[in-house]
Amino acid sequence: MQIFSFILELITLPAFILGLIALIGLVIQKKPFSDVLTGTFKTILGLLIMGIGIGALIDALIPIQAMFEAGVPAGGFRTFVTFDEGVVGAVQDANVAGIGAAIAWTMLFGYIIHVLLARVTKFKYIYLTGHMIWIHAGAFAILFHSFGLSLFWTVLLASIVDGIYMTLAPAFAQPIMRKITGNDEIAFGHGQTLLNMLGAWVGKLIGDPEDSAEKQAFSSKLDFFRDMAMSIAIIMIIVALIAVILAVIQIGVAGVQEQISGGQNFLLFAFLQALGFTAGVLVLLQGVRMLIAEIVPAFKGIAEKLIPGAKPALDCPVIYPFAPNSLIIGLISGTIGQVIAMVILALIGWAVPLPSMIAAFFASGSGAIFGNATGGRRGAWAGGFLWSFVGWFLISFAYQFQVFGDLGAMGATALGFTVPDAIVPGIVIWAIAKLFGV
Amino acid sequence: MIIATLCGMGFGTSMMLKLFIDDILKDEGIKAQVVSWDLGSHKGQDADIIVAPMDMERHLRSSESKIVLIHNLVDKAEIKQKVMEAIQSLSA
Repeated sequence: MQIFSFILELITLPAFILGLIALIGLVIQKKPFSDVLTGTFKTILGLLIMGIGIGALIDALIPIQAMFEAGVPAGGFRTFVTFDEGVVGAVQDANVAGIGAAIAWTMLFGYIIHVLLARVTKFKYIYLTGHMIWIHAGAFAILFHSFGLSLFWTVLLASIVDGIYMTLAPAFAQPIMRKITGNDEIAFGHGQTLLNMLGAWVGKLIGDPEDSAEKQAFSSKLDFFRDMAMSIAIIMIIVALIAVILAVIQIGVAGVQEQISGGQNFLLFAFLQALGFTAGVLVLLQGVRMLIAEIVPAFKGIAEKLIPGAKPALDCPVIYPFAPNSLIIGLISGTIGQVIAMVILALIGWAVPLPSMIAAFFASGSGAIFGNATGGRRGAWAGGFLWSFVGWFLISFAYQFQVFGDLGAMGATALGFTVPDAIVPGIVIWAIAKLFGV
Repeated sequence: MIIATLCGMGFGTSMMLKLFIDDILKDEGIKAQVVSWDLGSHKGQDADIIVAPMDMERHLRSSESKIVLIHNLVDKAEIKQKVMEAIQSLSA
């Protein structure tokens, strides 16, 4: 019976399932034995590395949260970090009630449904952005799991929603993608689609595509935000310093050093927490990288065999070279949008997502490029601003009303989802479930 | 030979470039290891050729690897031409 329980535990272990997916993919691609072995082990190690990063990230985040709590008098606002990889990684790692396994199976079956749909419908797109495949599988699995469904029903329903999402989202964005890239070769495969399309729609209403932001000379050197380590470190240092100053105002230097920092100098403590958080994110991303490096080529190989000539749906930076000015407009207007939304959210008493330069650059940047395609310069400013402004409300709503269940209890302390393509369907399904009293 | 592709995160665009280059190398019958890296950690790692988006030029000036900058990340013809040139210049 030991052997039986060994197998049973193994097939509910997320690291093992993902390793198995990589193994199957590598075997189908007819890779040599050494590649199969390395690829499978690297996938499993990737997941374990992710867990280590998550632990470090949350360890650094908790004191920062504690400083905010001490610094904002009772009845004030709560803050959290909006970071998709963080949520899915933490939940998968903690694997409470088998949810981690559900995520891994959803990733596999969701992709199979996507490939089948692309084969039989007219939507010939192959979704290839690895971390987004994983995040959406995670979001939908967590959503259905939070309704108290069994593993079977969670994986079945989440895979169907996930497969439909990966097939329809690139098709939805394609009319604008044609305008941006000037051809019909590539599609958009990133969880930003819904808010990017909002930017394109508003751009059309208020602007003129002829007045393109790309016509003016507009050189800016804000591209160091592309370096994850720098952009996260800078933002987190600012956030931690604000937190510690608020805490010092309320409970004094002695209070902070007694209750929170364990005797360490309060400024040094805040600084080190910010860097600790950043280090945790970098370790997490290294794990994601190892996971994706093995699984994406496998998915690509399988999809290309089944649907020849399909358009690849790719990561958001593929559109950046087509509209570098809009990208910078998005970064600026997106930052403004985040700050204004944060103030309003704090005033109405909802949980406040901390600022994210990743969202301002990658998400509002794409929103601005979509806006520019339909509404020129005005469209770009509106697209970038709206992505962050509306996005921050969606992110806060999902966190405040626990659309995806109690993420904290599942291991993702003070972390929330970012991408609208997971949040908006999530809210719709959650609302329907509420109507039926689930 | 090691060819490294680069992007901000190290698994989005760089992964896509890696897949494109894998295809190109297969067509040309060239054996090389293609790895995807993030901008933050490429220093301290060894590669013969680094392939990156054009706008990362500033970050790569001090690199000792052969740098290939791609303007249009989805233009396979551009990627092929530039990567093949780099491979030939190294083996020459």
